[in-house]
Amino acid sequence: MNVLLDLTIGILTQGFMYALLSYGVYITYKILDFPDLTVDGSFPLGAAVTAVMLTRGVNPYLTLPLVFVVGALAGLLTGWIHVKLGIRDLLAGIITMTALFSINLQIAGSNLIVDRSVDTLFTAAPTMLLLGSFTLIQRKLMVTFLVALVFKILLDLYFKTKNGLLLRAVGDNSVLVTSLAKDKGRVKIIGLVIANALVALSGALVCHEQRAFSSTMGTGQVVFGLATVIIGATLFKKWGFIKGTTAAVAGSIIYKACIQVAISLGLPANLLKLITAVLFLVILVYGNRRKEQVSGHA
Amino acid sequence: MKKISLMILVMIIFGSMGCAGAEEARVPVIGINQFGEHASLDNCREGVVQGLLDAGLTEGEDFTLDYQNAGFDTGIATQIAQNFSANQVALMVAIATPSATASYAAAEDKDIPVVFTAITDPVEAKLDQGNVTGTSDKLPVEAQLDLIRQMQPEADTIGILYTTSEPNSVSAIAEYQLHAGAYGFSIEAIGVTQQSEVTLAADSLISKGVDCFSNLTDNNVVGVLSSVLEKTDAAGIPVYGSEVEQVKLGAVAAAGIDYFELGRQTGSMVARILLGEATADEIPYETISEYGIYYHSDALARMGLVLPEELLAKAIDVAE
Repeated sequence: MNVLLDLTIGILTQGFMYALLSYGVYITYKILDFPDLTVDGSFPLGAAVTAVMLTRGVNPYLTLPLVFVVGALAGLLTGWIHVKLGIRDLLAGIITMTALFSINLQIAGSNLIVDRSVDTLFTAAPTMLLLGSFTLIQRKLMVTFLVALVFKILLDLYFKTKNGLLLRAVGDNSVLVTSLAKDKGRVKIIGLVIANALVALSGALVCHEQRAFSSTMGTGQVVFGLATVIIGATLFKKWGFIKGTTAAVAGSIIYKACIQVAISLGLPANLLKLITAVLFLVILVYGNRRKEQVSGHA
Repeated sequence: MKKISLMILVMIIFGSMGCAGAEEARVPVIGINQFGEHASLDNCREGVVQGLLDAGLTEGEDFTLDYQNAGFDTGIATQIAQNFSANQVALMVAIATPSATASYAAAEDKDIPVVFTAITDPVEAKLDQGNVTGTSDKLPVEAQLDLIRQMQPEADTIGILYTTSEPNSVSAIAEYQLHAGAYGFSIEAIGVTQQSEVTLAADSLISKGVDCFSNLTDNNVVGVLSSVLEKTDAAGIPVYGSEVEQVKLGAVAAAGIDYFELGRQTGSMVARILLGEATADEIPYETISEYGIYYHSDALARMGLVLPEELLAKAIDVAE
């Protein structure tokens, strides 16, 4: 059973780290109805900034707020291009993402590896003081869980504020927002800023965990984010009280679990993505059938 | 019905995770974490297995292999490493830098030894200390420059394509620039950021009138080498490879690494660790000492080049 426990810890750690990315995509895709491709750039941006700061000896805790700000700027850029320059949503994201590829390389120089002597979030003194009796794998799980939980709570609180409600209104019924004499463009920009700050933070966590930044680590992250949000939403459709953020975390964990199952099945390595796709399909079909069943009873 | 199908799904998932661990008690499992599939990395892996067999170990009795490749996805390389770590493999073999970094991050906590291969600069990759060792595929740059000088006595400029984000390539370019002068060459290097830009950069290098191309082990460039060779063939510019697979594709010649041999060297290190002769901590990483001269007689004929007599004796023709 030890194997299973370790694998579960690995999956959960991955799931919690990438949950921040899922929150971001949840905000843009699900709430704002904005297909934001900036993610493929802002995720490695978070990692690049983190890798550089860690190698320069910046306090590992301090990297998080700084990455949050840098990620927010990436979102601001997409928002500005879309709202102020009137570029279509998809294209605005593509432009920022493309620009970020170069910017990330410029920041990091090339793919960067952080030395083992450098403390990360998981090995820094305050973490060790609190959780030093646990193994590194367990510490990683606890810290990532804590970060994912804190941001989930913060987001849930934010969605209840006036500003947060406006955000949801823009996606659902933007005419209403205009009729309230609110600038829906501004609201969109705020959403993109928060979303990309979270995505960059996710990249930062992955960099802390892996001690590495690679320029291609953003490839496919939008797809991952969309998949997690949709998986989460499909599975929990029946239970209306489950928050979108919770569903996003669950989706992220399930996605990582699917990949781990595909690896564990020991099937030919080239079939990994195919098997992952089949597992998603099973989950989505299962979710849909249950939804039908529910509406059938109604 | 729904509940049963869900239960079956859950059982498959957990069953699949659990059974991998059940076997390990009998025969030590070697987890191979290969970053992706391409000829050099595959050769490396086959070499590792050969190295184990050479050491007198038998697959199935003394070790079993769990081979996984990440399809060039760093995230998946991480999860493969975590899987190996959870299953408590006896040892991880990591092929290429991203897989090595991921493997070491997952193995560190459990003190599972990691043996890497196909890494140019283990110091740069921070894999030079700890329970980790392996082999480096640092290019024999001076031998390559010497080869080009002998083949093309009149040549001035060597063109090189590389990916700016690959530390291996960046350090190789620096090495080329350091030694080129001694052989009377100047280097014209063009950096790209992704694979789709490689052929455009090749066009640009050709238009700059370089006398030949010299190729690195850059993953992006090697991936589209065939289309680069089409362009250089049309322009009549010879391309020198950096390892045997590139010559097989149609590069004229290479002073380069045989990745199978590199793998074999790695395999013998793995065997020593498995047999308890030394720990990964104790074995320093090795750089391949031998390089071979490879050439492609058809490609040479196409370019109107001949291999000097003294090289011909030790060179290997890979043309079929």
